[in-house]
Amino acid sequence: MVLVLALGDLHIPHRAPDLPAKFKSMLVPGKIQHIICTGNLSIKEVHDYLKTLCPDLHITRGEYDEDTRYPETKTLTIGQFKLGLCHGHQVVPWGDLDSLAMLQRQLDVDILVTGHTHQFTAYKHEGGVVINPGSATGAYSNITYDVNPSFVLMDIDGLRVVVYVYELIDGEVKVDKIDFKKTTTATHSAH
Amino acid sequence: MVKKKVPDWLNSSLWSSSSTTTTTSFSYSDTNHFDHHSSTSASPPIDPPLPPAATRDEQQHPPRHHHNYHPRKPDIKEDKHSKSSIVNDNISNNNSNNSISNNKIDNRKADNTESSAEDISNQALLLTELSRKVINMGELRRIASQGIPDGVGIRSTVWKLLLGYLPPDRSLWSSELAKKRSQYKRFKEELLMNPSEITRRLEKMMGFDNDDAKSESRYVLSRSKITHGEHPLSLGKSSIWNKFFQDSEIIEQIDRDVKRTHPDMHFFSGDSSFAKSNQEALRNILIVFAKLNPGIRYVQGMNEILAPLFYVFKNDPDEEMEACAEADTFFCFVELLSGFRDHFCQQLDNSVVGIRSTITRLSHLLKEHDEELWRHLEVTTKVNPQFYSFRWITLLLTQEFNFADSIHIWDTLLSDPEGPQETLLRVCCAMLILVRRRLLAGDFTSILKLLQNYPPTNISHLLYVANKLRGQPSH
Repeated sequence: MVLVLALGDLHIPHRAPDLPAKFKSMLVPGKIQHIICTGNLSIKEVHDYLKTLCPDLHITRGEYDEDTRYPETKTLTIGQFKLGLCHGHQVVPWGDLDSLAMLQRQLDVDILVTGHTHQFTAYKHEGGVVINPGSATGAYSNITYDVNPSFVLMDIDGLRVVVYVYELIDGEVKVDKIDFKKTTTATHSAH
Repeated sequence: MVKKKVPDWLNSSLWSSSSTTTTTSFSYSDTNHFDHHSSTSASPPIDPPLPPAATRDEQQHPPRHHHNYHPRKPDIKEDKHSKSSIVNDNISNNNSNNSISNNKIDNRKADNTESSAEDISNQALLLTELSRKVINMGELRRIASQGIPDGVGIRSTVWKLLLGYLPPDRSLWSSELAKKRSQYKRFKEELLMNPSEITRRLEKMMGFDNDDAKSESRYVLSRSKITHGEHPLSLGKSSIWNKFFQDSEIIEQIDRDVKRTHPDMHFFSGDSSFAKSNQEALRNILIVFAKLNPGIRYVQGMNEILAPLFYVFKNDPDEEMEACAEADTFFCFVELLSGFRDHFCQQLDNSVVGIRSTITRLSHLLKEHDEELWRHLEVTTKVNPQFYSFRWITLLLTQEFNFADSIHIWDTLLSDPEGPQETLLRVCCAMLILVRRRLLAGDFTSILKLLQNYPPTNISHLLYVANKLRGQPSH
């Protein structure tokens, strides 16, 4: 039972001052085993804050990140799952499933986590699952001002993942979940 | 004599000598006790313990230590029939332990091989008692309080009987055991599950079993409602996740303590899979106990009380018993701890049932039996009994003696009809009295040093003195 927090696009301090208070009260150290962050934190202080929640922190570079040393993409294995991480501004068209699926095949991962669009989405295709945790602060994006703060918590348990989606809608935290299982060997059919 | 002096028997040089090694070797072999016989038969004529009838006239005189007597001599090699005649004698002439243990001590002093003869017939008594259809608990207690012989594999069964886990009626054993073991299994299943599994089960029950049988190649994953508002970051008091994280602190503590239990013993510590599975068992028992007892949870030290129980049960020669040692240990642990729970509860420290009050009782007991020593400790050197007796009492003397010795002490603690609490206090008092010379000669520092690192002692010595402290103060 491994808890993995996925979030990103905070844009602190440029577009938002901080995480919403209700999110902050829930995010306490000691519960989460890994954090994967799509990028655009944008400053070191946010990095330090995330480090206090969990020592195992993985970040990829967003276009506004001040630390230039973050990698463009990252892969890691947690339990039975391979996770891939990328900010997403590199994948054009932004948020397009086909292009993201290409990236996923390239990285050869079961779950790809990307951001940049500031909208939560979760798709499934033959290669696996693509998740966008949205923006944890609700910062405006390149496309729209209408953004609800959101992040994702994945509970990886054997071959099963439960994805808990936390969204702040009208000042209230709403939690939903998505369940999916990994099929043991995915056969790639040749087209 | 108005002033209560230290009784003469205490001042004998016998008690001031330091340890004689315990005579029985601590090995848990499966060898039949008859093998034990043949090994001793080579030795010169042994004086077996006499049936109480012979000691009747002994009781008129105060026990004298170097007195040699000649009991009626059933030969060691005799078959069980004669031994059962001894047993019958024992039952019919129901004398106090004193005469027997007295003579036992004499025998030990006289000849080492004599004591193994002691043990053999003690063993025989126990075996006979255990083989009855309905075990006479009073009789069992009486025999067991003189010590349960090692190496015969009966300690496990005797302890289970003494703690009330096994009923005296043999025919009920299998059904009782099956019931208890399945109960423990259920406890484990319910309490040791992590929240992911719990949510999964809840969903199954509510029919939310969503197996993605979709054949479409790509689609948006649908979001579903969470059951009961349960999510991992929930801060709700009744949330299983929240409780899980709160419990995880205790579980960490238990983990740490289990790893530190008896690091010198291969049974408990080391890299072998055997040690690891034993540690796992200890861990499970303590976690289940902590979850079932939210009032007391886990307190450091419970692992030390658990360890000898598990060791003894796991070394049961019977395969079935050994396999289910974890479940059996759990219930016996609960039973054993029930008398001492209040010592672990901090809020009860100053109450009538708490540890302070128990320590005060020890102090009074010492005052009753040895006022001079008591005065020296309490008044002259001002050694607060809490400094040494806290650990003695809460951990049931497991930390003061080596493992083998503490198991022998536990034989007496568990079997004494007065109950473990009272017996424990008497043993602690005896511990103080045995080193009285050194205590009386010492100051605060040396006294504490001595008592906090109690010197190795002859355990039967110690238990004999403890026994003497029963009831009336002076002899």
